[in-house]
Amino acid sequence: MWLPILGLAAGLALGLLVSVQVPLTYVKYSAIAILAAVDTLLGGMRAQVAGRFDLRVFLSGFIVNTLFAALLTALGDLLGLDIYLGAVVAFSIRIFNNIGFIRRDLIGLIWRTRPIEAGET
Amino acid sequence: MRPHLWQVVLGAVAVAVGFALVVQVRTERSIETALQVSSTRLGEVAYRYRQAELEDAALRNRLVSLRQEIADEEQRAAAGRQATAALGPELARMRALAGLTPVSGPGVLVTITDSNRPLRPGEDPNLVLIHYSDVRAVVATLFAAGADAVAVNQERIAGTTGISCVGTTILCNARRLAPPYRIEAIGDPAALQAAVTARGGILDELRAFEFPVTVEMERDVRLPAYTGTFVHQFARPVDKGG
Repeated sequence: MWLPILGLAAGLALGLLVSVQVPLTYVKYSAIAILAAVDTLLGGMRAQVAGRFDLRVFLSGFIVNTLFAALLTALGDLLGLDIYLGAVVAFSIRIFNNIGFIRRDLIGLIWRTRPIEAGET
Repeated sequence: MRPHLWQVVLGAVAVAVGFALVVQVRTERSIETALQVSSTRLGEVAYRYRQAELEDAALRNRLVSLRQEIADEEQRAAAGRQATAALGPELARMRALAGLTPVSGPGVLVTITDSNRPLRPGEDPNLVLIHYSDVRAVVATLFAAGADAVAVNQERIAGTTGISCVGTTILCNARRLAPPYRIEAIGDPAALQAAVTARGGILDELRAFEFPVTVEMERDVRLPAYTGTFVHQFARPVDKGG
């Protein structure tokens, strides 16, 4: 359960240590892709907490969401539309939802059903 | 306890997401510090940059043509300077001829003054006074004898100088003259002296009326510049062709 959080911290540290920059042409798309990735990650954590995590769903969601968010933004650029705004709104709402679920599930886990945690893991 | 596969995958994804997050944030911040705009306005920046490049190219072309113009103008200015340099000595000569520069050289000093002979009863006082016509006659004689420059009581005779009288004073260049009249001339001293002292000449005539008259040849006569103005109100230069 703590492995993803550890991984997130490790990734943040790695990003700070390694001096890499996104090419300027792709900054716009990578931003949306990262938003999608964060959303998927939170969704995965939520599923994990809820005990209904599926590796295939998670991985496919991660890849498809990320790529599609970036592609949608690129399409919006081609059409001259701010499609990425839709992606931003959708993913932001989902992130809030996921965080809310994780919070509630965690509260339930810690205060009432500590034995279940042992059963699940 | 050995972690499950999904935990490892989730962790790996978390590493990727965390890494991407930090890289993205750092990129965005570097853009903002460099360009003062967010990445969403990069297209606008690119557009401005292209415009600036076009402007730059146009200005470079203009620079080249302006440099050429400067070179042309410099050549023209150089030609003008040569013309001006050629005009310089000519102008100096003209000024000297017009009496606008002080001059010095050999010449004569003619001094004439009123007679101190006592008047006989019933005699006209004009007989013992120097008139403007006498001064004028001496000046005219000197010029006729080839004088280059003449001055009366340090008043230079220019082309427009008139010698006249108002009441009992003689005017020269609108300045009053008082006796004794010192008429200085630059020219061949011998020729000038011969001209003024010629038999039947002006000085001969004055001497006959017992006026004190002296003529001295001078090695170095110094004449001042004409200080008046030249006002040509009506005269206009006429073209040679016209």
